[in-house]
Amino acid sequence: MIGDRGESMSPGKTATNRKRPRTAQAAVVNPGVVTVGTVWAGLAACALCVFWLSARAQEPAEAPAPLRFEGYPGAPSVSVVPRKSELFFYPCEQCHAAMEPDPTIRTLDTMHDGEIEHGRGRIWCLSCHDLENRNYLKTLLNEPVDFDEAHLVCGGCHANRHKDWYFGAHGKRVANWQGERTLYNCTHCHNPHSPAIKARAPKPAPPVRAGLTLEPGIEHEKSAIWETQKEHEAE
Amino acid sequence: MSSDTGSGDSGGKFDKARRNFLRGLGIGAATVAQPAWGGQTFQDAFADFFQKDYRRMSADEIEAALGRIERKAQDRYGVEIDCQNTPPQPGVVYGYAINISRCKGYRDCVHACVKENNLGRDSQVQYIRVLEMDQGDFNLEHSDHYYDPETVPVEGKHYMPVQCMQCDDPPCVKACPVEATWMEPDGIVVVDYDWCIGCRYCMAACPYWARHFNWTDPEIPAEEMNTNTHYLGNRPRPRGVVEKCHFCIHRSRKGQQPACMEACPTGARIFGNLLDPDSEIRYVLANKQVFRLKEDLGTEPKFWYFSD
Repeated sequence: MIGDRGESMSPGKTATNRKRPRTAQAAVVNPGVVTVGTVWAGLAACALCVFWLSARAQEPAEAPAPLRFEGYPGAPSVSVVPRKSELFFYPCEQCHAAMEPDPTIRTLDTMHDGEIEHGRGRIWCLSCHDLENRNYLKTLLNEPVDFDEAHLVCGGCHANRHKDWYFGAHGKRVANWQGERTLYNCTHCHNPHSPAIKARAPKPAPPVRAGLTLEPGIEHEKSAIWETQKEHEAE
Repeated sequence: MSSDTGSGDSGGKFDKARRNFLRGLGIGAATVAQPAWGGQTFQDAFADFFQKDYRRMSADEIEAALGRIERKAQDRYGVEIDCQNTPPQPGVVYGYAINISRCKGYRDCVHACVKENNLGRDSQVQYIRVLEMDQGDFNLEHSDHYYDPETVPVEGKHYMPVQCMQCDDPPCVKACPVEATWMEPDGIVVVDYDWCIGCRYCMAACPYWARHFNWTDPEIPAEEMNTNTHYLGNRPRPRGVVEKCHFCIHRSRKGQQPACMEACPTGARIFGNLLDPDSEIRYVLANKQVFRLKEDLGTEPKFWYFSD
């Protein structure tokens, strides 16, 4: 159930969250890109810097304020497999701290290229990513959400699936059926920018049972052993 | 009638077949005559011969039987396995549900099962079959489990994995003439492979094609052997007995997921305790439109399907 408006998140707390000082470390990135002439070299240098910086990146000191969403009634307590360590560009502020926030809706071509297939054109980056707190996602109520808690963002629109996920009818539980429930996050299986699961090759088919042949064009019933025997007799 | 009596016309062909058959029989008999386990000590062979039904053995006798199974595996595969006898948990009855709208037909479950249960890599025994059917069609006789396209899911098809349903009123158990198969207190239908006489009545009785006769010794590379085994589950079986899915009894009784569920990449498989009102399986049963396969036969499968 969605809690009462403004109950658990005070406006003051939000303000401090939004004006977090930008790190000096990240500011180093941009001059590097500018001095190198070509775009490609710039990109490569930037990627290297990001890689190097993200390896030694510190966790942001402040955690996001608690959300107004208080969970579904009767839902079991679950823990979620962390996701941030698997994100290549995280923390986002390493680059974005030195860039001017630009809220105009547009298609990105550098770094974050590729179409957003999610929402069939109805949503774009800042529908889910927070403009001010670059290291965070955001809910529809503009509350910052940690990348490890991405399901709270997905649940904003896909509430039925989100509820099923909590109760165990959707998604995947890790390792055990008994004891503590650890779940994979939505983003472990669904690429948030293109959420449909892609087709892939199946594992090998089972060996054909003795007495059956599976040549293309031959009906299954016809290839049963008694059918072939009848054909022999007819000859 | 006349074609029957005139068998002399086609006699040449069939005589040859008969000769080949008899020759094969002779070779087969020679093969079977050798000890199926190989390299067994006289003591073990003697104790094996007089081993009782699992349910009539004392704890000490079971312990001794487990030791013999481990020694046999060492002889046969050169692998040190750990054969256990984990008892059922009190207050637990297992249930399974599959979300067929999530199943994409990847067959990851099938191959995880083969690996977990030490099934022969090229044998015809696989506990799980993933059926491919046309969308809108639910006639199992039109299903195909040999499908092998470039990529799955194929447009216009849907997939449905079938394995042992662990019926609550299992017809296979009623069919067994020697009581080598029964339902455990946690709802898993198991086989005592050492007590099974290989008559295959249970296979005929099962409406789900869930029981499999192992015609050959499984060929498994030693490094791929799963050493975590259970007497009633995935321990090395003698040749010529019937085996089946046992919800990975060696894992589920310790609180772990069955191998097929752990391998499923889409999360279509849901497993849990039917007696626990907070379990995932109970949520599915209460909130989804579930159905069971061939429910009209009255076998009460503990295996549900749903789509959402």
